[in-house]
Amino acid sequence: MYNYFMDLVAILQSKPLLVGLHLGFAILGIDAFLWLLGQLKDNGGSPKSRIATALVGVVAFIVSWLAGGYYYVVYYGTLVRPVIKSSTAPWVHNIIMETKEHIFLFIVPLAMTVLFITLLSEEEMERLKLHRLTLWLSGTIALLGLLIGAMGFTISAAARWGAII
Amino acid sequence: MNKPKLIISSAYAATVTVIFVVVITIWAELSVPLKDWLKNFSGHHWTSKSLLSVLMFAAATLILYVLPYQHSDDRLRKTLGLLLMFAILGTIITTLFFTGHHFRLF
Repeated sequence: MYNYFMDLVAILQSKPLLVGLHLGFAILGIDAFLWLLGQLKDNGGSPKSRIATALVGVVAFIVSWLAGGYYYVVYYGTLVRPVIKSSTAPWVHNIIMETKEHIFLFIVPLAMTVLFITLLSEEEMERLKLHRLTLWLSGTIALLGLLIGAMGFTISAAARWGAII
Repeated sequence: MNKPKLIISSAYAATVTVIFVVVITIWAELSVPLKDWLKNFSGHHWTSKSLLSVLMFAAATLILYVLPYQHSDDRLRKTLGLLLMFAILGTIITTLFFTGHHFRLF
């Protein structure tokens, strides 16, 4: 039993899986907030389904944060950063990675705030005139996630080509 | 549960967290002692910023929620607008800072 557990821990700590979990859960988070955006725009979905959508988004971003954070702290600094810094595109680390790792920290507080908004009933949303602002906030979360995703792709490409060129 | 007050508290806390992340990030890049302190706090400067931002968001939301103050519908909208503005501004400032830092402008 102990050996199985240790095997599982070893798999969870492997680099490809960590990157996959980071990216996969980030995509799930982005999709959840895009879905919520659609629900709010079309007045679709029950209040409970909106809460569930926002909750899925928040949990997905937290898991993405943990998986990506572990990979970044344990592997990136020693294995990836030196490759990019010594390549023809060191700016990818200096600008893209540095920006990515810090703006990611905005996402969960923003997503939590939207989750709290979804706790309101339809009548309360109407009375408080929050529809438009919630649309903007959900869109911003999704857009920020997509921007961070594009940054991640650029960093991976720089590491891949930096090791060759 | 007072939902509008919870949303206002969370929005203010998230705004403060965004400002905190931007300020400590720029400050730590320009101050070696601060970056060293962040590294020593948890073993990695980014982990420290992550932990501090989570603590700040949770604590600020809780404190603001239990504080006895009157809130209005207008204040709720203004707070959410402020959060949106600071999230966008924070992203732009962080990007511009690291771009300038790379080109040794500061």
